[in-house]
Amino acid sequence: MAANTDSSDDSLYPIAVLIDELRNEDVQLRLNSVKKLSTIALALGVERTRNELIPFLTDAIYDEDEVLLALAEQLGTFTPLVGGPEFVHCLLPPLESLATVEETVVRDKAVESLRKIADLHSKQDLEQHLVGIVKKLAQGDWFTSRTSACGLFSVCYARVSPSVQAELRQQFRTLCGDDTPMVRRAAAGKLGEFAKVAEMEQLKSDIIPLFKTLSQDEQDSVRLLAVEACVSIASLLPSEDTETLIMPALRNAVADKSWRVRYMVADKFTELQNAVGPEITKNDLVPAFESLLKDCEAEVRAASAHKVKEFCEKLSPDVREQAIMTNVLPCVKDLVVDPNQHVKSALASVIMGISPMLGKDNTIEHLLPLFLTQLKDEFPDVRLNIISNLDCVNQVIGIHQLSQSLLPAIIELAEDSKWRVRLAIIEYMPLLAGQLGVAFFDEKLNSLCMSWLVDHVFAIREAAAKNLKNLVEKFGTEWAQSTIIPKVLAMAKDSNYLHRMTTLFCINMLCEATGPEINSRLMLPTVVSLAKDSVPNVRFNVAKTIQKLSSGLDQSALKDAVLPCLTQLQGDSDVDVKYFAEEALTGLKLSS
Amino acid sequence: MEKSETQDVDNWIKKLQEFKQLSENELKSLCEKAREVLSAESNVKVVQSPVTVCGDIHGQLYDLLELFKIGGSIPDTNYLFLGDYVDRGYYSVETVSLLLALKVRFRDRITILRGNHESRQISQVYGFYDECLRKYGSPNAWTLFTDLFDYLPITALIEDKIFCMHGGLSPSIDTIDHVRILDRIQEVPHEGPMADIIWSDPDERGGWGISNRGCGYTFGQDISEVFNHSNGLSFVARAHQLCMEGYNWCHEKNVVTIFSAPNYTYRCGNEGAFMELDDSMNHTFVQYDPAPRIDEPKMVKRTPDYFL
Repeated sequence: MAANTDSSDDSLYPIAVLIDELRNEDVQLRLNSVKKLSTIALALGVERTRNELIPFLTDAIYDEDEVLLALAEQLGTFTPLVGGPEFVHCLLPPLESLATVEETVVRDKAVESLRKIADLHSKQDLEQHLVGIVKKLAQGDWFTSRTSACGLFSVCYARVSPSVQAELRQQFRTLCGDDTPMVRRAAAGKLGEFAKVAEMEQLKSDIIPLFKTLSQDEQDSVRLLAVEACVSIASLLPSEDTETLIMPALRNAVADKSWRVRYMVADKFTELQNAVGPEITKNDLVPAFESLLKDCEAEVRAASAHKVKEFCEKLSPDVREQAIMTNVLPCVKDLVVDPNQHVKSALASVIMGISPMLGKDNTIEHLLPLFLTQLKDEFPDVRLNIISNLDCVNQVIGIHQLSQSLLPAIIELAEDSKWRVRLAIIEYMPLLAGQLGVAFFDEKLNSLCMSWLVDHVFAIREAAAKNLKNLVEKFGTEWAQSTIIPKVLAMAKDSNYLHRMTTLFCINMLCEATGPEINSRLMLPTVVSLAKDSVPNVRFNVAKTIQKLSSGLDQSALKDAVLPCLTQLQGDSDVDVKYFAEEALTGLKLSS
Repeated sequence: MEKSETQDVDNWIKKLQEFKQLSENELKSLCEKAREVLSAESNVKVVQSPVTVCGDIHGQLYDLLELFKIGGSIPDTNYLFLGDYVDRGYYSVETVSLLLALKVRFRDRITILRGNHESRQISQVYGFYDECLRKYGSPNAWTLFTDLFDYLPITALIEDKIFCMHGGLSPSIDTIDHVRILDRIQEVPHEGPMADIIWSDPDERGGWGISNRGCGYTFGQDISEVFNHSNGLSFVARAHQLCMEGYNWCHEKNVVTIFSAPNYTYRCGNEGAFMELDDSMNHTFVQYDPAPRIDEPKMVKRTPDYFL
């Protein structure tokens, strides 16, 4: 080992310090040292790490939780440092101790590391070392060790002999019936992954009875974890078995007296739908979904409302439309006017997605009235969610039909008191403009687009400027010259500097779409005139804008108008005006 | 500043706007630069209109960024902040770092005054110390910040018409010139004119009163009127107190309170506000709601696990 030669003694000094600091009184130093544990191990070499460092760490576990957490994490990555899979079992003793401490995060991390290194054990080491630890933890006096044990069954089970497997199943059964709810919770949480590694026969004979018991546990926190297990187990079983073995418990969960359990069902609903298959979905889950959408607790309604689109999408095509129309839609209609805003907002975020499934006529007849109601909802989140998803309805019923029905509501929302709602409407404008054509647009929407330029929210003014550019790209420069440019330039004479700045922001955006001729004839004179503004913020925005405006201008315009203007700004008394003038001169390669 | 330094600071600003804290070395360098800039400023920082005046932020970085979205970003809009950048919110470190970085980069576009939370004593108790410890693993960052806070100016005067500070007036100060001669480069004292400016509150009772904050005084309308009259002021703008509407006029428009932390401490349900002064000194108050958040805890009904 290189570390033993004299010449490397000096280089080992920092390591000696780290080792020393593992024992230091200062927690911070111990923590640093533990975080660099792999460096220490590397320097010590694999043999000394196994024989000295690991036993030392096993003894040192009476430390602050922070240090223990770092230690538990480090040990999970230690396999190469102790000599590879052949020796990985020497990491078990410290991790075993860490898996029994009082602090949950430390225990969980230790279990995570144990699970990580479990796969690296040979078959023989697994039975000889790890299984022993699992049993010891499972029979521990304190619930802490029994809780940790629950997470280790599935990583051992598949690779041990049938007799050991039988023992492990027996142990797990005991844990599922533990007196302490925390242990039963841990077991319920791991039941699904245990089911996945068991053979079909044992699944039916051992695991499913456990599932049934846990799903009737007196603690709702255990029952709700059984719902999670339900997803994994159902996906393993053929559908006739699911019907007889799983569905009774699931039906109970849908009607559970605790809202947390029902919430869990709602939250996992589409996963359950995948797991039980189309036939059971049709007969059982559709009515179950209905009852969750009508639940008395708002949390449950909100969680299931979130799933409306996905649930409908996953229904088999032959029953989809029928089920939506007769079962889902009536509930959805009620949810649109739900007293709870979170429920309405959850629904609004997905409801537009039903439109493609129902087709044009049903959308117009049944969904459009709902959208209209939601567009006028008193909660901005609801309005916003609808506006942001309008495009998926466009495709179904066409923009013309949509704008006919929704335009009045949209115009109202363009002046909504919440700026994010206004922003969503602005972002929708170019699409609307393209579909409606210039005449209709000028009549109905143009004045709105201009009014956003003087909005009191900067983000709206900015979006309005960007919107103008998009409109010019659609309607052409003729239209720009006659309709918007005069209004934009007039704002340069406004008494409020924010409006003068908006002129510059607009020109900054527009000049890409208007082209050099308009830029030098109409825009440039206005920009140059603002270089004498009394407000420095306006002056340095002149510098910024002129830089962008000047690309594509001919040399004479650059020399006669741009250069003198920027040179003047370069000599300004304000530092920022100077800075941006210099940036512009450099950018335009005009600086001397 | 050298070009490369400007670039560094620009990068810091970008990083902080993405909720990423600076490294300890970057922080050290930021505080050094900020000290240089702030120590050149007077106790009464002269501010020109147009400017946008903001109150308490308290580590609510989402809301500070929302404020910039609504009021415009720096350097395009000029800002004056009235103190209380740290404590209580989840992002005190990033909030105060961002404001300092903006100050260093655009010293003429932003003014930051000292609030009562920009002190060792208060920020040790109300969260900033713990946040520094958690995010930097040692108290060094907190020491860097609080040493710098001593340099923050304590008042600002906009166009000789609006006098601004975090708390309020002081019985030891009759004219603005009295403020100019204070030695402000120190920890906020327990009493005296500097403490009063940072701690006092306006009150419905006339005259000077004992403040139940244990520091500073309360002052009545008579006091504000005389102070504004003798100093030729339109009104006093201050922060320091929660307002449900985000701002609140009192003393017959002699004093306005501005509070810019909407849904303060994530449960007060108040609006935030700031005051825009345009180039002709017209003022407009802009109110705003809390910004949408992605990672901060939401207040939802959940039975905690410890009921097991």
